[in-house]
Amino acid sequence: MEYLIHLAILFSIYGILSLSLNLIVGYTGLPSVTHAAFYGIGAYAAAILLVSYGMNFFLALFAAIIISALVALLIGLILSKFDDDYYALASFGFNIIIFSIFLNWQGLTRGPLGIPGISKPVLFGLDFSSNLLFLILSLIFLAIIYFTARFIVNSSFGRVLKAIREDETALQVFGYNTLYYKLAIFVIGSAMAAVAGSLFASYITFIDPSSFWLMESIFILAIIILGGLSNLKGSLLGALFLILLPEILRFIGLPNELAAQMRQVIYGIILILLMLYRPQGLVGEYKL
Amino acid sequence: MDIVPQLILNSIIAGAIYALVALGFNLIYGATKFFNLAHGVVAAIGGYIVFYLSKTLGLNLYLSVATGVLLAGFAGYLLDKLIYLPLRRKKASNMILLVASLGAFTAIQAIIAIVFTSQFQTLSRNFGSQKIFEVSCPVALRSICYGVGGVITQTQLIIFISGMVIMGALVIVLKKTMFGKMVRAISDDEEVARIVGINTNKIIGYVFFIGSAIAGLAGILVGFDTGIEPTMGMNLLLKGVIASVIGGVGNIYGGVLGAFLIGFVENFGIWKISGEWKDAIAFAVLIVFLIFRPRGIIKK
Repeated sequence: MEYLIHLAILFSIYGILSLSLNLIVGYTGLPSVTHAAFYGIGAYAAAILLVSYGMNFFLALFAAIIISALVALLIGLILSKFDDDYYALASFGFNIIIFSIFLNWQGLTRGPLGIPGISKPVLFGLDFSSNLLFLILSLIFLAIIYFTARFIVNSSFGRVLKAIREDETALQVFGYNTLYYKLAIFVIGSAMAAVAGSLFASYITFIDPSSFWLMESIFILAIIILGGLSNLKGSLLGALFLILLPEILRFIGLPNELAAQMRQVIYGIILILLMLYRPQGLVGEYKL
Repeated sequence: MDIVPQLILNSIIAGAIYALVALGFNLIYGATKFFNLAHGVVAAIGGYIVFYLSKTLGLNLYLSVATGVLLAGFAGYLLDKLIYLPLRRKKASNMILLVASLGAFTAIQAIIAIVFTSQFQTLSRNFGSQKIFEVSCPVALRSICYGVGGVITQTQLIIFISGMVIMGALVIVLKKTMFGKMVRAISDDEEVARIVGINTNKIIGYVFFIGSAIAGLAGILVGFDTGIEPTMGMNLLLKGVIASVIGGVGNIYGGVLGAFLIGFVENFGIWKISGEWKDAIAFAVLIVFLIFRPRGIIKK
C-alpha cells in the first residue's frame, strides 16, 4: 500500500510537470527542453527556505513560485528571440547553465552534497508527514494545476496561444503582440513546475543536482509527446504510463541498475517509434 | 613555468576534438537541415568499439581504431536508413527529426551502459607512460619568449594532427570531387538537386557515414586522451553543436573556427574560476552568439 501511495505521489508530481510543459510546448508550440531547470529552482528554493530559515512549507512554496517565475521571465525574454530548433538548442543551454549553478554555487546549494533534512508541510497544526496525507496534498495541487491549465487553454488567452503555434506571423498582422503571450505562458508554466519541485523536495526530504539534469527535461518532454501534445488528459496519461513503466521492469525481476538503463532504452525507442508512426502521441491534437 | 602557454596548448587540443565533432555535425546538418543529436552517441560508439576490440579481445591497436571508425560511420548510416530517411520521406518537420534523434541518443547511450557498465574506462594500454613532448619557444625567438612553454602528450599531438588532416581532406573532397559537388548541391537545395538527377537519399546516406565516422574518431581520440564513459556522447555533442552554431551552422570552416573559439573560452574561463563551470561557460557563449549573431561567425 505504501508503495502504491509512493507511486501516486510521483504521478502527481510528474503530472504537474507534464501539464505545465504541455502549456508551453503543446499549446504554444515553443519546444522548450529546460523544464527540469524550473523544477529544480522550485525544489531548491523551497528546500533552502525550509531548512535554513525554517519557513512554513506553504510560504516557501509561494516564494519558490515567485523565484521560478522571475527566472523564467528573464530566460523567456532571451528565448523569445528564437524559434524551432534554435529555441530547443538555446533552452538546452539554459538547462545546463542552471544545472551548473545548482552544482557549483556551493554556498547556497551545498553543490553535489545536496540538501538533506527537508521538512514535511505543516498547515494549521496538521502535519503532512504521513505519506497518505502527503498524497492527498499533492493530488490537491495536481487538481489545482489541472483546472488552472484547463481554464487557460479554454480562455481567449489560450486561443491566442494556439494561434501562435499555428501561424505566428498571421497573428502579428492582426496586431497581437505575440511576445507577451509567449512570455506569459512560459512564466506560468515555469511557475507551475516550481510547485512540482517544492512537493518533490518536501516529499523526498533530500535533493541534489542530479535530479534536475538535462535528461529529466527530456523525460518530461517524452511524457507529453507520448501522451499527446495540446491535450491535458494526454499529459496525465503519459505521466501515468512512464511512471509505471520502470515499476513493471522491476516486477519482471530486472536488477535496479539494469532496470534504470532499460528504462532509458525504452524511453528512447518510444520517442523514435512515436515520431515514425504517431507524432501526435496517444491522444494529442498537434504534431511537432 | 607560466600558465598561459599551457592554457593555450590545452585550448588547442580541446578545440581540435570539438572541431572533429563539429565537422561531422555540420556536414550532416548541411545536407539534412536538422540537429542530429544522435551524433554524440555515435562518437561514444566509436570509443567503445575500440575498447572492446583492443582491450577485451586484445586485437591490434591500429586495426581496432580503423574498425571503430568504420563501424561508427556505419552506425550513422544505419540511423539514417532506419529512422531519418523514413521520416524525411514523410516530410516530417525538423522538430520531429530532432526528437527522434534525441530518442536514438537516449536509447543507444543506455544500451552502451548496459553492455559495458557505466564505469569510466581508458583506452590506452600503457596509461601514464606515454610520451610527453615539451613545446617551448623556438631558438630564434629566445630573446622575446625565453622560458615560455608547455607540455602535450603524444595522444594530444595525434588529436591535433588528425583534426587538421581530416579537415583538409574534407575540404578537398567537397571542393574537388564529383561527390563533393553533389553534397554541396544538396546543401544548397535538396529539391533542385533531386530534379537534376542526383540520388539525394543515397548521397545523404554517405554523408551520414562520413560525418559519423569522423565523430567516431573523435570519440576514440578522447578515449585515448582521457577515457570513455557512456555519457561522453552528450558532452561531445553539446560542444560540437555549440561550435557549429557559433561558427555558422552547416559551414565546415565555421565549425572549426567555432570549435577553437569554444576551446579557448572554456580553458581560459576556468583559469580564474572553478573547472566545474566549463559547460556553463560554453553555453553562455552560445547564447550570447545566438542573441547577437544568430547565423554564426561565418554566415552561410
